[in-house]
Amino acid sequence: MSDRGILFTHIDEPGLQRLDVYERLGGYRGLRKALTAMSQDEVLKELEASGLRGRGGAGFSMGKKASFLPHGGIEKYLCCNADESEPGTFKDRELMHKHPHQLVEGVLIGAFAAGASHAFIYIRGEYEEEANILDAAVSEAYERGYAGENILGSGFSCSLVVHRGAGAYICGEETALLDSLEGKRGNPRLKPPFPANQGLYNGPTLINNVETLSNTPHIIVNGADWFRSFGTEKSPGTKIVSVSGNVKRPGNYEIELGIPARDIIYGLAGGPHPGRRVKAWFPGGSSSPVLTEEHLDLPFDFESMQQAGSMLGTASIIVVDENVPIVEVALRLAEFYRHESCGKCVPCREGTNWTVKMLERIDAGDATPMDLDVMASVQANIIGNCLCVLGDSMAMPVGSMIKRFRPEFEAHMERARIAAGALTEELHVPLPSEVA
Amino acid sequence: MSDNWITFTVDGREVRAPADELLLDAVKRGDVEVPFFCYEPKLGAPVGACRMCLVEIEGIPKLQTSCSTPVKDGMVVYTQTNRVKEAQNAVVEFLLVNHPLDCPVCDKGGECPLQDISFGWGPGRSRFHDQKRNFPKPIALSPLVAIDRERCILCYRCVRFSQEVAEDYQLAFLERADHTFVGTFDGRPYIAPFAGNIIELCPVGALTSTSYRFRARPWDIVDAGSICTLCPSQCNISFTIRDERVERVLARDNEAVDDGWLCDKGRWGYQAVNSGDRVVAPLVRDGGRLRPATWERALDAAVNGLRTAGAASAAVVGGQTTNEEGYLVQRIFREALGSHNVDSRTGGPLDKHTARLLSHPGLAAAVPDIDSAKCVLVLETDPINEAPIIDLRLRKAVRRFGCRLVVAASGPTALDAGAAERITFAPGTGEAFMRALQKALLKVDAPGDVRHEQPDADPAEGDADEAGVIGGQAQLAAFLAEHSLERLAEIAEVEVDDLEEAAALLTAAENVVVIWGERLGHGEGGATALGALGDLALVLGLDAGEGSGLIEIPTATNGRGLREAGCTPGLGPGLTDIEGPPGMTAAEARDAAGGDVKAYYLLHSDPIRELPEGERWDEALGAASFVVAHEQFLGASAERHADVVFPAESYAEKEGTVTHPDGRLQRVRPAIGHPGEVRAEWQVLIDLGIRLGLALEHHVSAGAVLAELAERSPLHRGVTLDEIGGRGVRWQERDQSRSAAKDVLGPLLFSDPAEPRTVPRPSDGELRLQTRPDLWTSRELEHAPSLDFLRPRQELVLHPADAERLGLARGDLVRISSNGNAIEAEVAPRASVKEGTGHLIEGTAEQNANALSNGLPPVVKVTKAGTER
Repeated sequence: MSDRGILFTHIDEPGLQRLDVYERLGGYRGLRKALTAMSQDEVLKELEASGLRGRGGAGFSMGKKASFLPHGGIEKYLCCNADESEPGTFKDRELMHKHPHQLVEGVLIGAFAAGASHAFIYIRGEYEEEANILDAAVSEAYERGYAGENILGSGFSCSLVVHRGAGAYICGEETALLDSLEGKRGNPRLKPPFPANQGLYNGPTLINNVETLSNTPHIIVNGADWFRSFGTEKSPGTKIVSVSGNVKRPGNYEIELGIPARDIIYGLAGGPHPGRRVKAWFPGGSSSPVLTEEHLDLPFDFESMQQAGSMLGTASIIVVDENVPIVEVALRLAEFYRHESCGKCVPCREGTNWTVKMLERIDAGDATPMDLDVMASVQANIIGNCLCVLGDSMAMPVGSMIKRFRPEFEAHMERARIAAGALTEELHVPLPSEVA
Repeated sequence: MSDNWITFTVDGREVRAPADELLLDAVKRGDVEVPFFCYEPKLGAPVGACRMCLVEIEGIPKLQTSCSTPVKDGMVVYTQTNRVKEAQNAVVEFLLVNHPLDCPVCDKGGECPLQDISFGWGPGRSRFHDQKRNFPKPIALSPLVAIDRERCILCYRCVRFSQEVAEDYQLAFLERADHTFVGTFDGRPYIAPFAGNIIELCPVGALTSTSYRFRARPWDIVDAGSICTLCPSQCNISFTIRDERVERVLARDNEAVDDGWLCDKGRWGYQAVNSGDRVVAPLVRDGGRLRPATWERALDAAVNGLRTAGAASAAVVGGQTTNEEGYLVQRIFREALGSHNVDSRTGGPLDKHTARLLSHPGLAAAVPDIDSAKCVLVLETDPINEAPIIDLRLRKAVRRFGCRLVVAASGPTALDAGAAERITFAPGTGEAFMRALQKALLKVDAPGDVRHEQPDADPAEGDADEAGVIGGQAQLAAFLAEHSLERLAEIAEVEVDDLEEAAALLTAAENVVVIWGERLGHGEGGATALGALGDLALVLGLDAGEGSGLIEIPTATNGRGLREAGCTPGLGPGLTDIEGPPGMTAAEARDAAGGDVKAYYLLHSDPIRELPEGERWDEALGAASFVVAHEQFLGASAERHADVVFPAESYAEKEGTVTHPDGRLQRVRPAIGHPGEVRAEWQVLIDLGIRLGLALEHHVSAGAVLAELAERSPLHRGVTLDEIGGRGVRWQERDQSRSAAKDVLGPLLFSDPAEPRTVPRPSDGELRLQTRPDLWTSRELEHAPSLDFLRPRQELVLHPADAERLGLARGDLVRISSNGNAIEAEVAPRASVKEGTGHLIEGTAEQNANALSNGLPPVVKVTKAGTER
């Protein structure tokens, strides 16, 4: 396995959070080159040619997305999506915590490519420490003239603001992020219109993930071809994979896309604890359909995961071994989405809480196999019918768990029924006055 | 709506629709119905939240919300496929997961979109076997609206109304996911003049009317369409009647009048109709007290009293009088009694030329013109208190269509926050302000040519002669040349910069609508002020621009209709000439009490309460030899001084027409029978008229009276009740009226400019007084129990600097006195008020500011209550 990296190369350098250390290691060369030696178009073309795909979950070509923004004198914006809330994902946190200037430089390059004059880093409120680190880094950048008016004398001006969220997974959805940034309730908007045309304050807006933007300085300095030398043809570059769950060495690992999943889970993360086996694993955070042992040798990239019936998403691997009941995993997951649903659209709002209630009943011994059919049907009714993908993010994994682990669900259900003695006890339905 | 039509296919059928029409509407043209909850175009952009309207579009993998998808040429849409049906079933099933099975006890049952859609597009059974989420229910969102949060399907409509239509920003979604609920952002009751609209918007029984709770099921009731006559907005309404009793009022959506909204006064004011305090039998004063009498006796007494006074009689015609009633009373006065003393206006004398100019079709705008106006000038009126629906219309224009608002008034208005330019002139200086504005407008254009030309206007469309010159132009030019902008601005106490900003905004707009308050013409100098208004309209070129014009906000509901039916001392029906010199205005008739005026006819009017200088009215009516009144409720004037009181119909019983401020004739239709001994008032007037010697026997219906009015008045020429129908018709849009009106109204002319009045500045311990109307002070509302909590206490609104100067703090009780009259009020400092001016509410039941006003903005003394020397 290669130990070439891009983003983590200097990650453990002491003092890397400081601008002078970052500069010493070659930092802000990319920004300088882009602003003083290249045109906006050339930067866009370089990014597009690199084939860099969004690292926040959707995997859309970054350069292509940036090129959607209309040209001309209107006010444009760039938003960096640092609302990392996908369960199992903690890569952006490490990047922002240890390597803030890499992101700041990436944001400014992205802004230049898009023609944006105002850039925002929307960071989840829970990342208080990282937000403070970024604040300090942004201040340093302003002081050094890397942000603000007429950067490096190039004529390009861009303001940069770090904005803290207030605890909502839905604000990681790009249009909900925009509404939240505007001071409104964080609810997603209808698409179309897309943010590239009507985004922040109804102006053209480019929204990119932390990891995506962190790649741009390297692409500008070393070129698109160099970037393509990593990874696969359809998924070039590296990816920081957050591995968590039942593994010996959970953590963030930078890999080249396309290596077998086994190499990550067993090679880098040490595999399951002694005597245990992988029962199920999520390739792309909890929102991805679950895979099993049979998929471990597949290449870990966008296309292969999709072909296997799942998705790469944020490329955050959660490993579940056979000691963890699958019902518990499903319930824990569903509770998360039920809590985080914004409530705007009917299928997600009602479907998530219905799913939780059914899983609770399964766990409590008050369900029958028919409930499994209903639950599977509910997931199918959610998928594709919601305003944004949060609903799908619950329905796809839960649906996949029911499909792949149905016997385990039924067995769990049966054991719980026996344990609860439900056949002999009367069901107590609480009166409304008894419910909090 | 686009003019470009395209063809698309829905369920295999080819349909034509305007390009970019929303699919949900477009498929209706192909007879396809798509269910929806959250879609409501009146609330602005679609939200796509409920997911009920999902349809399949060829070429797009996911189902799309048809409410937010614009139709394109060649689009192929499917609404009946299994995929769509499954999605529809799914959404209904999801909605019923937490929605309680309250139908048997829910007011919405029977008129509930959720019921209908569940039945039509739902799976028929729910597979949900768990505990639904609970909320305490129902609770009072406000005293008028109850909220049941369990029933709420979170369709967003009420919140969008509050934030984007009424712009009170009180309602919001709180919490998240299935804990989300609708509430006010601070947990206090939802108090706003338009709150009731959310009841009609709500597609389920989550928001219900507290007064209609458990009153009726849809199969118990009948609907009767009519017009709300509680304010000049004249919204189209529908009475809900159960067993001959009005139980509720709903909107009757007329885009040309009200956009389907109602204010809470209109929605709950009907309760006065059912009040036990109504006068339901004729009353005759016997031994000092009003006692019930027979119609014969009452009519006889009225006839005797009027005949004795003869030409020394005066009629004060109140705002809710219909055109037919007004027309008949002026016939009685002019032809039977020989008196021209008929007045329906609160203000001073109205000059003939000005009255005709302000009714001229060339200068007229219609309410829908507000939508397309690039700039609107709101002049001396606060629509939210005088014609609330216009306030909503203006907000819509500003928010959705980019209209620039210029507000110029003597006091703060609710529209100030959204105004591009806000000017406050001193009370009583409206004329000076308008002259100053004319001067500023002409500075912007090339000097010399008085008229500001609209960019694409065809001068031939206006009344200019071939040279493009309107009569009187030179005079106005000379007048303006003699007065410096600085001097005029000084009189009005406004800044020259602000005037120039306003002028720039007005000049830059392709079309301009001027919404002017009738109170611009109040007080001394009111007549010339209105002349200045006409000049302003011509300077702005409102006659030559498409979609430009004037819209009046009269002080009374049918103010315009009554003027045009002949209820002014100087003009006959249709603003025709009268024979002989003009009669007295109401104020003049008041001052002539005991001398040239011996009898008063109060037709739906309580002058002591509603007109300026109520105390003097008290004296005048006391000095009169005879007073006859038509009253729904006994006001002070009738109670103290009437010799005969005829019971008035409520608007739910009346048959007749009223005229909207923009000239739309609308039908008031009886919804219920008359209570007690009440008779149709047009019939009462006919009886009176016949007894006084007029040949009116052929008037067998209100329609017959209208027919006669239509004959005599060029403006109403040939109009029939059928033509007016349920939507009304603007007379300016009728060819017959336009051609007949040409002769009466004459060409557009500039007025004879007069020296604008200056107003004195107040000295120490004094303030200039400006009275202001309040939506909740009308007499009916005292008998509408639901609205009782909204009746305002008298408050003195003044600038904080003045409050400090006078040693007053918020909440202090003060005594305000002028000319021997005094009232008490609570101090309420507000920074948006002009320094040196105090505002009091007029028309309140107690502490009525009308006691202090005298035509001029008087200077009043303000002292802390209990401390006067």
